[in-house]
Amino acid sequence: MNDSLSIPHLIMNASGVVQAVMLILMIGSLLSWVVIFQRTFVMRRARKAHRRFEDRFWSGVDLNELYRETPAEQETLGAEHVFRSGFREFNRLLAKTRSPQAILEGVQRSMRVAWSREEDRLNLHLVFLATVASASPYIGLFGTVWGIMGSFQSLSMAQQATLATVAPWIAEALIATAMGLFAAIPAVIFYNRLSAESGRLLGKYEDFAEEFHSILHRNLQGRTDAGAD
Amino acid sequence: MARQDRPVGYGLPLLLAIGLHLAILVASVLRFPDEEVAPPSTTIVQATLVSTETTTDQAQRAEEARAQAEARQAEQEEATRAEQEAARQAEEEEAARQAEAEAKAEAKAEAQRQADAEAREAARREAEEEAARRAAKAEEQAREREARAERRREAEAERQRQAEAEAERKRQAEAEAERKRQAEAEAERKRQAEAEAERKRQAEAEAERKRQAEAEAERKRQAEEAARRAAEAASQGLDRAIEGESDNVANARQATEAANSFINLVRRAVEQAWVIPPNVPDGSSAEVSVRLGPSGELFAATIGQSSGNSAFDRSAVQAVEAAAPFAELRQLPASAQRDYRQFNLRFRPGDIR
Repeated sequence: MNDSLSIPHLIMNASGVVQAVMLILMIGSLLSWVVIFQRTFVMRRARKAHRRFEDRFWSGVDLNELYRETPAEQETLGAEHVFRSGFREFNRLLAKTRSPQAILEGVQRSMRVAWSREEDRLNLHLVFLATVASASPYIGLFGTVWGIMGSFQSLSMAQQATLATVAPWIAEALIATAMGLFAAIPAVIFYNRLSAESGRLLGKYEDFAEEFHSILHRNLQGRTDAGAD
Repeated sequence: MARQDRPVGYGLPLLLAIGLHLAILVASVLRFPDEEVAPPSTTIVQATLVSTETTTDQAQRAEEARAQAEARQAEQEEATRAEQEAARQAEEEEAARQAEAEAKAEAKAEAQRQADAEAREAARREAEEEAARRAAKAEEQAREREARAERRREAEAERQRQAEAEAERKRQAEAEAERKRQAEAEAERKRQAEAEAERKRQAEAEAERKRQAEAEAERKRQAEEAARRAAEAASQGLDRAIEGESDNVANARQATEAANSFINLVRRAVEQAWVIPPNVPDGSSAEVSVRLGPSGELFAATIGQSSGNSAFDRSAVQAVEAAAPFAELRQLPASAQRDYRQFNLRFRPGDIR
């Protein structure tokens, strides 16, 4: 490979449109990698926090004590957030109504809201990753098509169609496709991995919400039975 | 439960992403100069001509032709010299023959002379014998006369003695005269012969001189002629050589251009047809001698220098066989075709795996 066909040289000598395409792809790749790293850290932290909270929850500690351990103004994450919002709603409704049905409905609603917030938090920016994964091959292809158009235009001006007159143009054009794939492939892989991770975490939160709901239901059932007796 | 850690920010991921991209960029920039250093793949198959008759050889050929012309001239000169030599020898032989003939004639004359002398001697002897006989007769007569006439014997004896003396004197005088005549004749003859010989010798010497002068002149003329011819031939040869040289240079330039493209074509075709076997050591290389027919068909492809790996050698030969025929040979100028019908191809795996 001689000097005129090295990749930096080709990028510097590309036409304006192709250079713009390459710049877009470069930025897309950079941002997608930022998202990948950030989401990976978030997921790892959420997984650890969930494991810790579940251990704590199922260790037989009193739920009031667990609720009071963290100050009300501190934002909580994951299953803890679901638990806190559900337990807060339960405590408020218990003071106002005697109907266990109404209490359980209110608790369930507030837990669904908390879960939905958690879902939104976990899936943040994953859509951007999906966009980069699906769009950057097309953007790169556009750059390639534009570059090959340029190569054919230059070919029409040349007297003789040798490989040497076409080769730099096509190499430059193909670099755009290469960069598109370079941005898209990690984005696709990590989008799948991260969305699977978030789906699994959200499934765990849902399971926890159901279990907590059944605990509250059992508690209310015992209380209404005692009140009826 | 205390949430001591804040939610994950974007600073660290951004740094990591930028670092990753920079690392990839640096790797791509740093890796490619290294690949530039690696030998280009065009040297995988190297082609070399076996018969290296190019423009410089044409010059050599002109030189050779000149040398040959000179040799031919030298030969001619040699031949003319030999001819002259032969002529001279013939002349000399002729002269010798002549001399011999002359000597023979002389000898004959001598013999004749001797024969004459002998005859004369014989005649003289005869005469003497005759004289002796006569003398004996005369003695007998005298004795008869003595016996018959003894009285007159004294007178007669006296007379006889006188006659005898007279006869003796006469005989002696006669013999003397005869001898003198003979000697005179001999001297005369000798003188004449000598004069004749002298004349002859002089004539011969004259003739010899003339002949020599003539031969000399002839030789000189021939030498001049030869020199002139040689000079002419040399100048012609030089002219021819110079003329041919410029032609050759032009032709050779054309031919080398065509031939370079031909060699490149062959090299490419062989490279494309080459299937390198696996597990070939990096430094191995094989040389294949290729002989082509007049229209580019493959006559023979043999291993000139083995790589030590028989599979590799076989793959090289098979590549040449698969790439043949090289019909582009016919597009070469006719003079170059012959030169490019035999060449060597060097196979080296290079950076192709």
